[in-house]
Amino acid sequence: MKRVNPVTRGILFLMGDEKRQRITIPILAVLISLIVSSIVLLVMGKNPFEAFASFLQGSGVIPKRAYGAKQNMFTDFLGLVDAWTPMLFASLAVAVAMRAGYFNIGVSGQMLLSGFIATVAVGYAETLPAAVAKPLVVLIGLVTGAVVAAFIGFLKTKWNINEVVSAIMLNYIIRYVVSFFVKTAINNPNTRQSWPVSEASRLTLQDVEIGGLKMDIPLGIILAVVAVILVQFMFSKMKLGFELRAIGGNPIASKYAGINVGRSTILVMALSGALAGLAGVTYYLGYYGSIQPDVLISTGFDAIAVCILGNSNPIGIIFSSLLISVIDKGSTYLQSSIGVRAEIASLITGLILLFSACGAFFAYLINRSRQREEDTKNLAAGRQAGGKEAQA
Amino acid sequence: MADEYIVEMRHVTKRFPGIIANDDISLGIKKGEIFALLGENGAGKSTLMSMLFGMYEPDEGEIYVRGKLEHISSPNYATKLNIGMVHQHFKLVSNYTIAENIILGIEPKRRLGLLPVVDIKGTIEKVSALSKQYGLEVDPTAKIENINVSTQQRVEILKMLWREAEILIFDEPTAVLTPQEIEFLLQIIRGLRDSGKTIILITHKLEEIKQVADRCAILNRGKLIDVLDVATTSTQTMANLMVGREVDFVVDKAPPRYGAEVLRVEHLTVKNRDNFPVVKDVSFSVRAGEIFAIAGVSGNGQVEIADAVAGMADAAEGTITLNGQDITHMSVRQRTDLGMSYIPEDRQSVGLILDFTLQDNLALKTYYKEPFCQKGILNRAAFAQYGDRLIGEYDIRSGQGRETVVRSMSGGNQQKAIVAREIELESPLMIFVQPTRGLDIGAIENIHRQILAERDKGRAILLISLELDEIMGLADTIGVIFSGELLKIAPADTLTTNEVGQFMMGVKQDEAG
Repeated sequence: MKRVNPVTRGILFLMGDEKRQRITIPILAVLISLIVSSIVLLVMGKNPFEAFASFLQGSGVIPKRAYGAKQNMFTDFLGLVDAWTPMLFASLAVAVAMRAGYFNIGVSGQMLLSGFIATVAVGYAETLPAAVAKPLVVLIGLVTGAVVAAFIGFLKTKWNINEVVSAIMLNYIIRYVVSFFVKTAINNPNTRQSWPVSEASRLTLQDVEIGGLKMDIPLGIILAVVAVILVQFMFSKMKLGFELRAIGGNPIASKYAGINVGRSTILVMALSGALAGLAGVTYYLGYYGSIQPDVLISTGFDAIAVCILGNSNPIGIIFSSLLISVIDKGSTYLQSSIGVRAEIASLITGLILLFSACGAFFAYLINRSRQREEDTKNLAAGRQAGGKEAQA
Repeated sequence: MADEYIVEMRHVTKRFPGIIANDDISLGIKKGEIFALLGENGAGKSTLMSMLFGMYEPDEGEIYVRGKLEHISSPNYATKLNIGMVHQHFKLVSNYTIAENIILGIEPKRRLGLLPVVDIKGTIEKVSALSKQYGLEVDPTAKIENINVSTQQRVEILKMLWREAEILIFDEPTAVLTPQEIEFLLQIIRGLRDSGKTIILITHKLEEIKQVADRCAILNRGKLIDVLDVATTSTQTMANLMVGREVDFVVDKAPPRYGAEVLRVEHLTVKNRDNFPVVKDVSFSVRAGEIFAIAGVSGNGQVEIADAVAGMADAAEGTITLNGQDITHMSVRQRTDLGMSYIPEDRQSVGLILDFTLQDNLALKTYYKEPFCQKGILNRAAFAQYGDRLIGEYDIRSGQGRETVVRSMSGGNQQKAIVAREIELESPLMIFVQPTRGLDIGAIENIHRQILAERDKGRAILLISLELDEIMGLADTIGVIFSGELLKIAPADTLTTNEVGQFMMGVKQDEAG
C-alpha cells in the first residue's frame, strides 16, 4: 500500500476544501512565484529577503532606514495608493466583463481615450474651479469608456464579431489617433508629452503640506472603493448581477430563461468600459498628469492577470491589485537600495501573474491527491472491517 | 479454466469521488459470444468497459486478456490487445472524410520523392473492401459532416475493424438510431460474431439483449447482480434484476378529457443558419388535456418546431397562437409569462446553468418576479425556501441540497430539477422534448407519470421524442414528421407502431392506398 507522505498531507490540509481554495490557491500561487523570484535573486547574488523588504519599504508598507525632507512612510504609502487606484479600477473592469463571460482586452485603449478626452475637455480649461472640473473629469471618463466598450459589445451582438479582436483593433486605433493629437496639438516640446493638466482638474492633489509633510492625496481611491462595493453588491444581490452571471455561465440557457442576451452583453461591456474609463482618468489626470504619445500602458493587460489572481471577485481583486501595485511601486526603491534593476521587479510581477494563471492547475493537482489519500484511507478502513468480520 | 475466457475480470473495483462505480466485480467473457452488460444509468457499465479499454485503471482487481494478466494503461495498449470500442458519443473529425477518419493515427505512408505522404488512394480501396466484407457499405470519400448518424456509427465500427479488433465494445449503440437502423445494426453485430469476433454490448434496452445477446451480466449500483443465459431468461426477470424491484411496463392512462385549444401552429416554416428550411409549412393544434406527440427520426425538424414555439428560434413564415394570442414575434420572456413551459432536449447546455447552484437553477424562470426580486434586488431567502420546497416535493437528490452546484448532479436529478421548475410554472402549455433521454427505467417511469398527471390537470402538452415506445405509450394524438413536413396527424389509437415507423421513414401510405 502506498503511503501519503506527511508534506503532501500537510499541504492538502492547509489548502482546505473547494470553498477555501478560492483563497488558498491564489496565496499558493503568490508563494510559488516568490520562491522562484528568490532563486532568480540568489543567482544574481542578492539576498531575496532584502529585496522583498525593499518592495515593502518603497511602497510605504514598512519603514525605510532614512527619509528625505518632508517625507515619511505615510507619504510613500499615499504614493502607492495613487498608483493602485487605476490598477484597481482596471482589474474591476476586467472582472465585470469576465463574470459575464466576456474578455475585455481593450481596457488600456479605453483608459487612454477617456484620459485624452478628459484632458482636452477639462484639463486645459484653466478657469474652471476644482469643484466643477473634478466631477466633470470623472463623468467624462465614465461615459467615454462606457461608449467605447459598449461599441465592442454592440459589434458582438449585432454581427457576432469576436470581442477580443475588435477590442485589440480599437486599441490600435485609439493609440494612434490619440498620439497624433498629442504630438501635434498639445505637445510639450521639452517633455515630448502632452502639457500637464491643470491643478483644478487633477484627481490627485499634488504636494499638499500637512504637519510638515509634503504628500500627494489620491481622491480617486474613494471612488474605487465605492466601485468595489457596488460591483460586489450587483453580483451578489441584484437581478442585473444574476442575469450577467447567468450569461457568463451559459448564454443559451440564459436566452432560454428569458434573458435578453444581446442587451445584457452591451450593458455589461458598457459597465466594464465605464470602470476602465475611471481607471483612465485616475491614471492620466491623477497619478501621471499628462499623456505620453505612442504608448499604450500595460495596466489594462496586467489587470487581466490581476483579475484571475483575485478570482474575478471584487474583494479578491482588492488584494491582488494591491500586491501588484506594491511590487510596481517598490521597484524604484529596490534599484537604489540593493542595486537590482527595475526590470527584475517587472520579472517578479510577471512571475506572480504567470503562476496566478495556473490556479486552476494547482486546484486540479490538490484535489487529485486529496482523492488518492481518501481512497487509501477507505481501502485501509475496508480491510480492517473485513479483517474483524473474518475474526468474528 | 482461465483460457476458456477471452476476457476475465477478477475482483475489479473502481472508485470515484463519492461513489464506488464498480464494486468487486468478477466475470468472464467467452470468445465468439455476444455478451451484454445491462444496468440503469450510473450502474457502472461504462466504467467497467472503460477499464477494459484502458481509459481508467482499476483501483483493485485484475484483468486477464486471453488468459494473461494485463495492465491496460491506455486505449493504445488496448488496441494492441485487439480491443476496440465504439463510444456513445462518436469520436470523429467532422471535416475529414470517412477514409481519413478510419486511418487517423495509423496512416499508411508511402514516399513521394523524399517526402513521406499518406497513401489515401490505397486506403480508399482497402476501406471499400473492408466495408463490403462486413456489409457496412460506406462511401470512403464522403465527409463526416455530410453523413447521417447511423453511417457515422458504421465508420466507428470500421475504425475498430481496421485496427484488427477481435473484442468489440459497443457503448449504448442504439441510442441514436431509428427502429429500422437498430434492426440493421443488430444484424451487423450478429454478422461480426459469426465471423469470430467477441462482442460486448453495453445497453439498458432489454429487447435488444433479448434479440442478439448470448449471455448478459446485470449491474446495479456498481455491483454485479447476476450473469444470465439470455435464451432462458424473460425480459421481465431481467428488468426486475436491473432495477432491483418489480417494474410496471404498462403506463396507466385515463381516457383524455379535451378542453379548449391552447396552441395553434399555422403554416410554420423555420430556416436554419444556412437559410435552408428545416420545418416546412407545418400546421397543428393542441387542446387542453391533450398530449400531442411528434414522432420522427432525429434531425427531421422536430426540435426546430419546439424551438420556434418556445421563442428560441425565429419563425420564417407562419403564425403561432397561444390561448388566442399571436405569439409569433414575442420574446422568450413574454411567452413564459403568457404561460409556456419548455423542457428542452439538451438539459445541460440549454436547460441549466451548470455552474449555478440548484436553488438558482430552480428559480431560473421566476427569479425576476416577486417574491424572488423586488425593485431589482434579489430576495435570497425566497430562493432558499422555494428551492427546499421543490427539492422535497420532486425528490431531487444532490450532495449539498439547494447549494449543490448542478454540474455535480447526476443526469436523472438534473432532469428532475428542470421538470420541477417547469411544472411549477403552472403553464397552460408544456413542451417536452426528449424528456427521458439517457435516463434509467425508474426515472423514465417517474417522468411519464408526471407528464400524464399534467395532462389530467388540463394542460396542453406538446411531446417530441425519438423513442417510439414513449410516443405510443403517452400520446393522444400523433404527428409524424419527415424532412421538415408533418406527413400524418391522427389520433394515437388509430395508428400502429409499424405505421408510425413507416411514416418516419418518409413513406406516405395515404398516397399509396
